[in-house]
Amino acid sequence: MVENSKAVASCGEALVKLLEAYGVDTVFGIPGVHTLELYRGLPSSNVRHVLTRHEQGAGFMADGYARVSGKPGVAFVITGPGLTNISTAIGQAYSDSIPMLVISSVNETNTLGKGWGRLHETKNQRAITEPLTAFSATAYRAEDIPDLIARAFAVFNSERPRPVHLEIPMDVLASPVAYDWSNELRIARSRPQAEPKLISAAADLLKASKRPVIIAGGGALDAAESLLAIAEKLTAPVFTTVAGKGIVSPQHELHGGANLCMSPAWDYLEQADLVLAIGTELADTDMWRDTLPIKGDIIRIDIDARKLNDLYPAKIGILADAMGAAHQLNQAIDSLETKPSVVADVANLKNGILQEQAELQQKHLAVLACVKNHLPAEGFIATDMTQISYTGNYGFESEGTRSWLHPTGFGTLGYGLPAGIGAKIAAPERAGLVLAGDGGFLYTLQELATAVEEIHTPFVVLLWNNDSLGQIRDDMIAMDIPTVGVSPVNPNYTMLAKAFSCQTYKPQSLDELESCLEEAFKYMGVSFIEMHDSSVDIAQ
Amino acid sequence: MATCGEILVKLMEAYGIECAFGIPGTHTIELYRGLPQTNIRHVTPRHEQGAGFMADGYARLTGKPAACMTVSGPGALNIATAMGQALQDSVPMLVISADNNTFEKGLGEGRLHETRNLQAAMAECSVWSHTLARADELPKVMARAFAIFNSERPGPVHISMPLNVTTSNADHVPMDLWAIPSRPAAAPAQLQQAADLLNESQRPVIALGGGAADAAEWVRALAEKLDAPVSLTHNAKGILPVDHSLHVDTSPSYQPVRDLYLDADVVLGIGTEFSESDYDFFFNGEFALGGKLIRIDIDATQLTRNVRPDIAIRADAQLATEALLPLINESRRNGSQRTAQVKELLAPLNHPGYQAFLDAFQVALPGAAVIGDSTQPAYFGAAQYHAPAPRRFASAATGYGTLGYALPAAFGAKLAKPDLPVISLIGDGGLQFTINELSTAIEAKISVAVVVWNNERYEMIAQNFVDAGMEPIACDIYTPNFLKIAEGYGCPAHRAESIEHLIELLRQAQKVDVPTIIEVREQDFIQA
Ligand SMILES: Cc1ncc(C[n+]2csc(CCOP(=O)(O)OP(=O)(O)O)c2C)c(N)n1
Ligand SMILES: Cc1ncc(C[n+]2csc(CCOP(=O)(O)OP(=O)(O)O)c2C)c(N)n1
Ligand SMILES: [Mg+2]
Repeated sequence: MVENSKAVASCGEALVKLLEAYGVDTVFGIPGVHTLELYRGLPSSNVRHVLTRHEQGAGFMADGYARVSGKPGVAFVITGPGLTNISTAIGQAYSDSIPMLVISSVNETNTLGKGWGRLHETKNQRAITEPLTAFSATAYRAEDIPDLIARAFAVFNSERPRPVHLEIPMDVLASPVAYDWSNELRIARSRPQAEPKLISAAADLLKASKRPVIIAGGGALDAAESLLAIAEKLTAPVFTTVAGKGIVSPQHELHGGANLCMSPAWDYLEQADLVLAIGTELADTDMWRDTLPIKGDIIRIDIDARKLNDLYPAKIGILADAMGAAHQLNQAIDSLETKPSVVADVANLKNGILQEQAELQQKHLAVLACVKNHLPAEGFIATDMTQISYTGNYGFESEGTRSWLHPTGFGTLGYGLPAGIGAKIAAPERAGLVLAGDGGFLYTLQELATAVEEIHTPFVVLLWNNDSLGQIRDDMIAMDIPTVGVSPVNPNYTMLAKAFSCQTYKPQSLDELESCLEEAFKYMGVSFIEMHDSSVDIAQ
Repeated sequence: MATCGEILVKLMEAYGIECAFGIPGTHTIELYRGLPQTNIRHVTPRHEQGAGFMADGYARLTGKPAACMTVSGPGALNIATAMGQALQDSVPMLVISADNNTFEKGLGEGRLHETRNLQAAMAECSVWSHTLARADELPKVMARAFAIFNSERPGPVHISMPLNVTTSNADHVPMDLWAIPSRPAAAPAQLQQAADLLNESQRPVIALGGGAADAAEWVRALAEKLDAPVSLTHNAKGILPVDHSLHVDTSPSYQPVRDLYLDADVVLGIGTEFSESDYDFFFNGEFALGGKLIRIDIDATQLTRNVRPDIAIRADAQLATEALLPLINESRRNGSQRTAQVKELLAPLNHPGYQAFLDAFQVALPGAAVIGDSTQPAYFGAAQYHAPAPRRFASAATGYGTLGYALPAAFGAKLAKPDLPVISLIGDGGLQFTINELSTAIEAKISVAVVVWNNERYEMIAQNFVDAGMEPIACDIYTPNFLKIAEGYGCPAHRAESIEHLIELLRQAQKVDVPTIIEVREQDFIQA
């Protein structure tokens, strides 16, 4: 808690104090003439400001920060272009249920909607973020702010987390506060608990099931312990979505991995008589097919009521926080006799997946194996929309949760580098690696400037260069469409990284990659490794 | 079978679209099937924001829209800022974005690139946003888009194409183009009223905005007949020749120009918003008129904004001035003297260092188009830079005021006018927003002189902080080595040491078919 030594003057100053009181320690942003009053209170607070090079970067950094810390990422942006620049990142956070608080200015209250052509003016700024957020609101008076911030944190703590946008007109931002609300915490941290009757019904179904399967998504990250206990009691394999990677240790015999996009997993699911899906949308972006071939009953546990019958009708739908519900469910189930055949099936399934990899994916896996060898314990990987990440989504086995950051739903290019920077700022003690393609990296490469300015512990950018927008080129070829616009003339990436004062490497083989990674993870700063796909020889 | 995607590009070609900017993705590849059979040039930017700014630059020089094609969700939102800038500056632009299948929209099932309501967001940045429901709507939708571009106050139009519609059969769709609606002419009675007022006036002044850019010939004649000083907004620069005796060659925000408006008994505003970013650049709210106001604008609602007109004529600028001209009696009203007086008062306000710097552009490359960003010399340029002709200057320092515009917009400008020298004027902070587009220009062989005003900080904002009584925060930024970055992209790069050197480098940049980075360190050109 902060102490109010001196009376706060303006709404902007009070807001910074209030955020600090809510536990905000970092904001990402770019100042402008419209947001000066937001910045006035920063120097006298303990809130760190991270200057980004584009507001899109600020948004992705806030996202990466949130994914690694579980706390909302916060961004300050200017009216108009600042807000539209960050909108893509807001959309990404919305798709992936990431808590994020975007605070922007907007033009003076009396000018709103008039179309006078004020600097940075939009028709209705809030309408832009309305479809991208849990809610977006305008503070028409300074005294609205404690309410609105409380509401935002209610979303972050007690609902399906999603971004919130708060816009503050410049006149309101500069106005004096009528009373000091800078310490007015209203924390709602109650999450919905499962109805006991439903838990025992679910437990009965699970106990009666011969071949149950658990599917855990990003909503179940904090339920890992109970889920594992349930899985062990039932001998049920656990598959995760990409956002759920790490919920079960890859060494565990019931770890089915994030393999829901692979046909051996589909075959397995088809034989399951019961699926427990927890904290997952079961969206097609994780399956690479419209719906999974689930033949058995489904129990769904979700904090979002609208997900309980979505795409797949649930036999039992439990509206609850995943952690609490998993705990209750675990208590309602006794250990059953273990089923060794299931363990063998899981091993076969994973093996089968490895066997069926095409040459391109084998290349990816070879590179990812090098990464795995050198990524320090607790390290995280932030990924972009590149083919090697798609392979890694299932093929890279994360040791823990909050360690594989991927823009799954919205699928935004340029996510990897800034998300990695944000994650690193949330957890400087963890080593970080960014995995980006030659196309996606260019989207946000200017954030290398932010990286070298802010990061002084091991942070490695691994560029996967195939000199093409590979996925789209392959799609075009598959659909008999001329390959227009997918074979870019690329820059000399290594030289670019040098211009940003990064330590650079250009390995010519997998062996060289190993030694580059080893060195890079020792370097106290930003390293850049360009791996060209032609340098990966899997015949070796 | 022809798909809806294929007929879309055919229609674009038929409407005269020459250039399309897009990064193909899973949801747009069907738009690419028919593209090679058209004469449309496709340029792949490195971020959809770059696509939008390039289309903007293209349209500023020509008055014609270019097309942008984006994937749904992130691709569409990525271009929103560029549409916002185009909307504020009335720049035509056709944005085609993909969307999820019609039957999946709004269900929230977590489909790739899914947005709860993409069109709602995009509508805020467009004049008109429409989601295509069926292939046979397309000719009507295109007709409406081009009606907006040609016959209304122009701006971006957004067409959202659900995946299942894009891939649907369009064999049955008639491809005849709809007639383009005419532009509104002025009502004769109102014109007569305006002419009467002007003919009786003693001290008329003309205030021109970007809406008058294509009426240069007629407004010039009108100014001369009336003997009225003429002020220009950013987007009106070049409508009067630089050395014309009636050319009030500064920003309308300066006090001497404000005094001119106060002293005028009639102000004739043509195609101008009278908005803050041109008329109240210093945000002191003190813009005022002393006499009567006649406004001519193609947008009826614009005639009700910012300043109250006594006569409000809704008409196309060119049609209205052309019709007004014969009703005006030629008369001497000390226009040149009044203009000269303003210039005399302005002279001490002009910054000599920036003047010398800005003058170098036309000395080096007469006729060049200059595209500016929110950087010091572009702010000074609002008053001190004079374009050689209309549609030869654009700056995002006004209106939506977004950073990073000037690099991609200059590339788009050059694509529109390959024989014209194009200069991009951008700060070190602004350049970092969109520097990735250097790759686009190298690939597309676009020759632009990129003048980077490097003070290793957000100078404008640092000043704003100081003015607001604060220490600047987050303004002194780590700045990468731009010369090395340029080299990494494969562009020639130089640091200009002096005005003469700058002139030489600007000329040299014309000899290569890629961008040339010319770094200008503020401290070398401006005395602290
Ligand atoms: C903002 C945005 N625009 C376009 C796309 C479509 N898209 C998806 S993957 C991809 C290719 C990316 O190329 P690269 O980063 O080189 O990765 P590769 O597929 O070659 O591994 C494209 C263009 C997207 N996902 N997001
Ligand atoms: C998208 C966006 N973000 C932030 C701003 C606020 N802003 C206006 S000018 C400026 C500084 C630009 O710095 P630079 O390009 O180096 O130009 P300088 O003023 O230093 O010449 C900033 C951050 C803006 N106009 N647009
Ligand atoms: Mg690639």
